[in-house]
Amino acid sequence: MADYTRRLPVYLLLDCSGSMMGEPIEAVRQGVKALLSELKGDPQALETAYLSVITFDSAARQVAPLTELMQFQEPQIKASGATALGGALNVLIDCVNTEVRKASPTQKGDWRPLVFILTDGSPTDVETFGQAVQAVKDLKVASIVACAAGAKADTACLKRITDNVLMMNTLSAGDLARFFAWVSGSIKMSSKGMDAKPGAPNQLPPPPDGFVVVP
Amino acid sequence: MPGIAEAVLADGRRLPYVIRDDPPRGGMKYTYFAPDKSYVVQFFNNPMIAADPNTHRRLEAIIGKYNPTRPEADGGAPGNSPSMAAYFADLFCWPTATVCSPEFGIVCPAYPENFFFTEEASLALPLKGRDKRSKWFTSSRNRQYLEPEEVGDFRAMLQLSTSLARSIRRMHQAGLAHSDLSCNNVLIDPKSGSCVVIDIDSLVVPGLFPPEVVGTHGYIAPEVLETLDLPSDSPGRKSPSAYTDLHALAVLLYEYLLMRHPLEGPKIYSPNSPDEDDYLAFGPKATFIEDPHDTSNRPPDLELTVHDMGPYLEELFLRAFVDGLHCPDSRPTAMEWEKGLVKTWDLLHPCENPDCAAKWFVLYDVQRPVCPFCGTRVKRENIVRLHLKSPLRGRYGQWMHAGEVDVYDHMPLFKWHILANTFPDEKTSREMQAYVCRHQGQWLLVNHKVRGMTSPHGGLVPVGQAVVLRDGAVFRASGEDRGFLIEVRCGR
Repeated sequence: MADYTRRLPVYLLLDCSGSMMGEPIEAVRQGVKALLSELKGDPQALETAYLSVITFDSAARQVAPLTELMQFQEPQIKASGATALGGALNVLIDCVNTEVRKASPTQKGDWRPLVFILTDGSPTDVETFGQAVQAVKDLKVASIVACAAGAKADTACLKRITDNVLMMNTLSAGDLARFFAWVSGSIKMSSKGMDAKPGAPNQLPPPPDGFVVVP
Repeated sequence: MPGIAEAVLADGRRLPYVIRDDPPRGGMKYTYFAPDKSYVVQFFNNPMIAADPNTHRRLEAIIGKYNPTRPEADGGAPGNSPSMAAYFADLFCWPTATVCSPEFGIVCPAYPENFFFTEEASLALPLKGRDKRSKWFTSSRNRQYLEPEEVGDFRAMLQLSTSLARSIRRMHQAGLAHSDLSCNNVLIDPKSGSCVVIDIDSLVVPGLFPPEVVGTHGYIAPEVLETLDLPSDSPGRKSPSAYTDLHALAVLLYEYLLMRHPLEGPKIYSPNSPDEDDYLAFGPKATFIEDPHDTSNRPPDLELTVHDMGPYLEELFLRAFVDGLHCPDSRPTAMEWEKGLVKTWDLLHPCENPDCAAKWFVLYDVQRPVCPFCGTRVKRENIVRLHLKSPLRGRYGQWMHAGEVDVYDHMPLFKWHILANTFPDEKTSREMQAYVCRHQGQWLLVNHKVRGMTSPHGGLVPVGQAVVLRDGAVFRASGEDRGFLIEVRCGR
């Protein structure tokens, strides 16, 4: 029998600028690996979640298209260049518009996507960023969570994208690992309890120890 | 930082547990393990719930006088004997104590070892040490990654389904409702045909303030979803109860036996948004994919159906998902499910195709003895049926049809196949009384423990001797007053 389970699209927007070079970018690689392994160990996540990765340095690109977990190929992640967060948001908008199935009289729509953004700086493509922030507001997503990593991350900019901004104080491997563990916890929770009621707020687990919710 | 902490229990005992950075977290609680992993200590995510005196009162009642896993003599449920308590201790992971320090929490036994995957369970997935939640087995997408020996066969699924119905019957019998019965709160081990109900802490206890639980997506009863927006004190609002458990139970049983969700079909309920579509599909407009009157949600390629589950289960599934989907009063009770599953067990027949993945099927129509899973036809000579007839009280020599048993080589027979008014529940002995075997081309029913079994010619069949099962033969299974009269039918 055909599969009538609704898909849950998940987009990770990962900062790969030069400042991430060394330990942080390695921690991000390990984080994606751990996230994938964790989700593959959860029956509801495995059944429903689809994952995509968008990276940004001086430019932004989708390095892993929206794919079911078992087919997901870990992308090449390297650090260099600037922080084209605005470009990344534009790539996100394109991807959501082309990859996420919309509800229609003849097609069951996907769940509204979950978006996680990780950055350690502030956008260098200021003008693009300003325009993209407006366009992202119109995007139909379940939630966008932005994580400001380390002292140089610009939380004010992230606040313009979403109300859900987390801050971690260091770019240490331990904190990044905790971030990815929390992301997998959030995806697992969403894959089980997708809003019972239309429009109900999307529930995510409490942020990990040492992370601050930016008011 | 990993380290050992100590939980102080309400009775003053102190139990160590291992602290870790990122404890496993469910919707309600997070969990720490004992150093030897023999029990777990759980705390609530929400401090308001942990501090609420209603939570404390409810958990004390659950652990004490409503506890079916503890004998009455030790403070457990009234009427619970040590053997019944031991029986249900295998079917539930029931909390054993409350923790009062470092904060309010509970202690539960660890799940038995067989409910955790081993390394060999899957070549494709990192499953070692993970618990066997139902969706691993009932979702076709997940199931394909498990090794064949891990997924069991149809008989094992029927066996664990019976255990689940029995567990819920026991809860409901005490007036309890689980309130969040779902694929995450029932662990199953198809390899051994067993299941265990977990997360017992959010039960609805008679007379006590109910927990604030809605349920899990896919298992919430339609009437609960439909009235979720009403204020919590509104009389129209439907909260989790035994009735909503009966919806979730039917969904789980359907998933275990047919490997798909009873409401997930092709129907588009709303073109506007996935949320609205989903709400209608599981709430006000929910439609059974096999509804005989409304085929709007029926998948075009449906092969195996409830009809293949035999007459007892077909009737129960139709009541649960057609009559009772939007009418909670019409849903079959857990007791009815338990009885229907037990009767269906007696119609199980081994598939003659050695490559059939299901290995067993319900042989409900001897005129068309075909395995619905692989299409293999059973040979006529392998169809032997016992029609059980129970003595009519006060009318000597008169008998009433009491059931049918499909037999096969090496099939054991138990007390409930020999004596009327016995039922395979927690009180009945599982000692084999007799067995059926095929010997030199003949079908034999061998007496193992029964006194007073007589042959079709009226002679005594002592222990160790057998009755030849020939078409039309009639004999007494036991000399006791309640002993069945058995009529044999071969190939018809």
